[in-house]
Amino acid sequence: MDKHPNDNPDTYPRLGRMMMWVDKPGSANKIFWALAIFCGLLFLADFAYEKHGHFDVEYIPGFYGIYGFVMFTALILLAKGLRVLIKRPEDYYGDKAVDREDYPEAELDKVNYDD
Amino acid sequence: MFYEILTVSTYPLVAHKGTPEAIKGARTYLGILIGTSIGLQLLAIIWTYTLTGTLDFTQGGILEGYIAGPMVAVLLALYAFGIGKAALMPFHRWLPAAMVAPTPVSALLHAVAVVKAGVFTMLKVGIYIFGIDFLAETGASEWLMWLAAYTIIAASIIAITKDNLKARLAYSTISQLSYITLGMALATSMGALGGGLHIAMHAMGKITLFMAAGSIYVATHKTNISQMNGLGRIMPFTYGAFFIGALSIIGLPPLGGSWSKWLLVLGAADTGQWIMIGVLMLSSLLNVYYLLSIVGRGFFLPAADQPADAKIAESPTLVWLPPALTAAGCVVLFFYAGELQEFLSPIVSGYGGEADG
Amino acid sequence: MIDQIPTAFLFFAAALVLFALPNGKIRAAFLLLVPVLAAYQIWMLEAGVHSQVGFFGFTLDLMRVDKLSRVFALIFAIAAFLSNLYAWHVRDTVQQVAALLYAGSAIGAVFAGDLITLFFYWEGTAIASVFLIWARRTEGAYNTGMRYLVIQIGSGVVLLAGAALVYRETGTIAFEAMTLGSVGTWLIFLSFGVKAAFPLLHNWLQDSYPAATVTGTVILSAFTTKLAIYALARGFAGTEILIYIGAIMTLFPIFFAEIENDLRRVLAYSLNNQLGFMVVGIGIGTEMALNGTAAHAFAHILYKSLLFMSVGAVLYRTGTSKASELGGLYRTMPLTAILCLVGAASISAFPLFSGFVTKSLIIDQTAGAHYQIIWAILVFASAGVLSHSGIKIPFFTFFAHDSGMRPKEAPIHMLLAMGIIAFLCIGIGVYPDPLYALLPYEVEFHPYTAGHVITQLQLLAFALLAFGVLMRTGIHPPEIRAINLDVDWSYRRLFPALLSRISAVVLFVWQSVTRFGHRHKNNIIDRLYHSHGPEGRMAQVWPTGSMVLWIAILLGVTLIVNFMS
Repeated sequence: MDKHPNDNPDTYPRLGRMMMWVDKPGSANKIFWALAIFCGLLFLADFAYEKHGHFDVEYIPGFYGIYGFVMFTALILLAKGLRVLIKRPEDYYGDKAVDREDYPEAELDKVNYDD
Repeated sequence: MFYEILTVSTYPLVAHKGTPEAIKGARTYLGILIGTSIGLQLLAIIWTYTLTGTLDFTQGGILEGYIAGPMVAVLLALYAFGIGKAALMPFHRWLPAAMVAPTPVSALLHAVAVVKAGVFTMLKVGIYIFGIDFLAETGASEWLMWLAAYTIIAASIIAITKDNLKARLAYSTISQLSYITLGMALATSMGALGGGLHIAMHAMGKITLFMAAGSIYVATHKTNISQMNGLGRIMPFTYGAFFIGALSIIGLPPLGGSWSKWLLVLGAADTGQWIMIGVLMLSSLLNVYYLLSIVGRGFFLPAADQPADAKIAESPTLVWLPPALTAAGCVVLFFYAGELQEFLSPIVSGYGGEADG
Repeated sequence: MIDQIPTAFLFFAAALVLFALPNGKIRAAFLLLVPVLAAYQIWMLEAGVHSQVGFFGFTLDLMRVDKLSRVFALIFAIAAFLSNLYAWHVRDTVQQVAALLYAGSAIGAVFAGDLITLFFYWEGTAIASVFLIWARRTEGAYNTGMRYLVIQIGSGVVLLAGAALVYRETGTIAFEAMTLGSVGTWLIFLSFGVKAAFPLLHNWLQDSYPAATVTGTVILSAFTTKLAIYALARGFAGTEILIYIGAIMTLFPIFFAEIENDLRRVLAYSLNNQLGFMVVGIGIGTEMALNGTAAHAFAHILYKSLLFMSVGAVLYRTGTSKASELGGLYRTMPLTAILCLVGAASISAFPLFSGFVTKSLIIDQTAGAHYQIIWAILVFASAGVLSHSGIKIPFFTFFAHDSGMRPKEAPIHMLLAMGIIAFLCIGIGVYPDPLYALLPYEVEFHPYTAGHVITQLQLLAFALLAFGVLMRTGIHPPEIRAINLDVDWSYRRLFPALLSRISAVVLFVWQSVTRFGHRHKNNIIDRLYHSHGPEGRMAQVWPTGSMVLWIAILLGVTLIVNFMS
């Protein structure tokens, strides 16, 4: 589907217009910092209850948070490295592969929101 | 006694009559075939007679106690290659040559009637002349088992490379016939029983395939699989029958072929021949590849020379109905396989009586 | 009356009836009715073995009903209903019939009480499902379908061989718990492993699911792999090697999913990862771990369908499911976007969503059994799930940079199907007791303790924070049009190349042999003709004599041979 020729945000579905807040300048920043504060609170919450872990590491304050942050970052970096190794052009398996084909139009119902 | 000699030795000859005339290229192959039949099989028969003084087909075999050691294997070789109609490699070339014959009828005859006579004789020789237990004790049939296994795989691989539909089916037949030889060569009652059952199951499935191929030819004059894209949509009955026949040949439920394959696997399990089980499995997958690809192309690929919304244009009813009926027969055989097995089990019942599968 | 018929037969009969109905709303409604009837029947079934038939010398148990088989059959019926609702618009008879036969076979296999019945339905799922791929009707889908079919039927024939060996060994074909040891049980294990997408055997999944039709992928995602999970839980519960296999399964797909462009393939990798959790649960094999596996399979079928449906709806409206082409679709597809977010939250196991109350059962049991490294892997993999299914799918489809596409909202029946699932996902997450009551064993587990909720939120929130940091710093890899190599490279590139080398050699040898044969064959025939033909020496002089001579020679040879032996 190509770009919509005469795009008018005022005619979007109401729910869609409400959600457009996320694309306002500065919103992304707000979301990020809200998340950061939430993380801080969660870290503090770790001291507020009695832990029943199976392993010693679970008793480190904020263990899950630290583990989540570090491993997520590691995952992304490793995946980037993996991509260097295994990335191939879409026609690597020839033109008779689904990656090279357009989905048959007959099965689809491609319409714009204002059609 | 002499009647038996006559049956065994002239069977190949008689069965050949009437077929070679139509087929120009196949004549020499058939000549060779007759030569090997007489030369090898007759020799084997005479040898058997001098050993035992009889040629009766006897329950339990007649050779036990008369011959031993590697000579059993040699004698078996004379029989196995003598019965050229079993199309054991390397004596298989006559079969595809004959089957690509222009008329569907002769192709059909070759596919089902003639070759079945060959493997049936093979099975009879194994059971009544040698005796399964005798083969198992001496291990004489082991090489035959390997040869059958080789034929199964090699013929399937060749089938994949064939674009001519009938040639592909012909090589498929060679491969499937060796299932039966393999069943005998496993030298277990389950194997022999599975081989016997496979004669019926394969016949029904392969008739369906050949008649469907004939139907396609009648309707479109196409012989090559690569030209058959999209044909399934205009010939749904023919292709439906082909699909069912193919599933039966592969050995998938709910079709007859699954039972004979089950028995053969059991037979192989009895002997501890893991590799034979592997061969049967691999062969199934090769079958999937070379048979179901035809169905997939027929139903789902766009045709080069027909509009996308082409109307159904089946072959005449009398042409597509027979394969449809035999396809239904494949389903029926699945449900009545038990009866068929009971019918066959007397031939192997003398062997340990464990025909309980 | 309805409880007398095996559930699978309901579907098969319905597939026949379908042809009699006009293709339109009536058929679509009929396709909804069948799973409802089936679900009702499954619900009402008493535990025990029903529908035993004598067949080919065996007694086949078509309906073995216990709590384990019931919960899987029930979710299969629900999945069939929801995917048929999602496919309300489909007028392709092939897909309709395939969906019925596929769902019927899967339910039949779950109720199978013996290995032969299991084999029949096992192959049934293979054959029926390939039509959902072929139904895309392109050359690429045809090729993918062939690969899929060979692997799936391969799994079936391995099962058959294993069943034969086990039968020879034990004298029974009953499908009960097995221990790995003999060749037979290993083969059965391998067969289950193919369908459960064990590492290195997994690639059919990522190869085929993106190739199916919009609705076909949704249907495919529910049955085959979960059937294998059921079979493993039935046959190999407590087999330790499964713990390690499962752990690897949770781990490797998250890397591939991260860099994959086709979102339906991302989901297929994600599916693989989720199966890993279930496999670990089976490997641990305690009652609670098996509960966790069953519960996770139940919840997983729902949220995975929801995710496949939302991406399918986007594909249906825009014609592509590639992340590099999409973005910003929330503007005109807000409902689909929100439903997708519900699915994403469920699979990421946010508290109050279904994944949280099921996955924690498995992880808790792993920790309880003191597999520390496995536990660490599972927690890491949970963060990985968040990265590709929780973030990547919704973010790069509906948010991120604006692609400029302004597709219409998904059709009402798709929204309805997704809405029902979203409701169930949240319902299970908020109030898991009804699901726990369905599980095979008594459940003593409380997911909503302060510790569980806070640690899980920590894990997810900090991972999200890491995502935010990586995006802001530009380290996060962009979506680009490309494919990635996986195990399928071996059979799409390596083996064909090797085979063509080998066949060239074989062909050369073969041709040399036959050329030699041909040359000499003609010689022999000429000579024979010369001596035996109508004008040949033998024919002219004394044909009877030559016959006798030949027989004498033959006999002589025979005697010599005989003497020697």
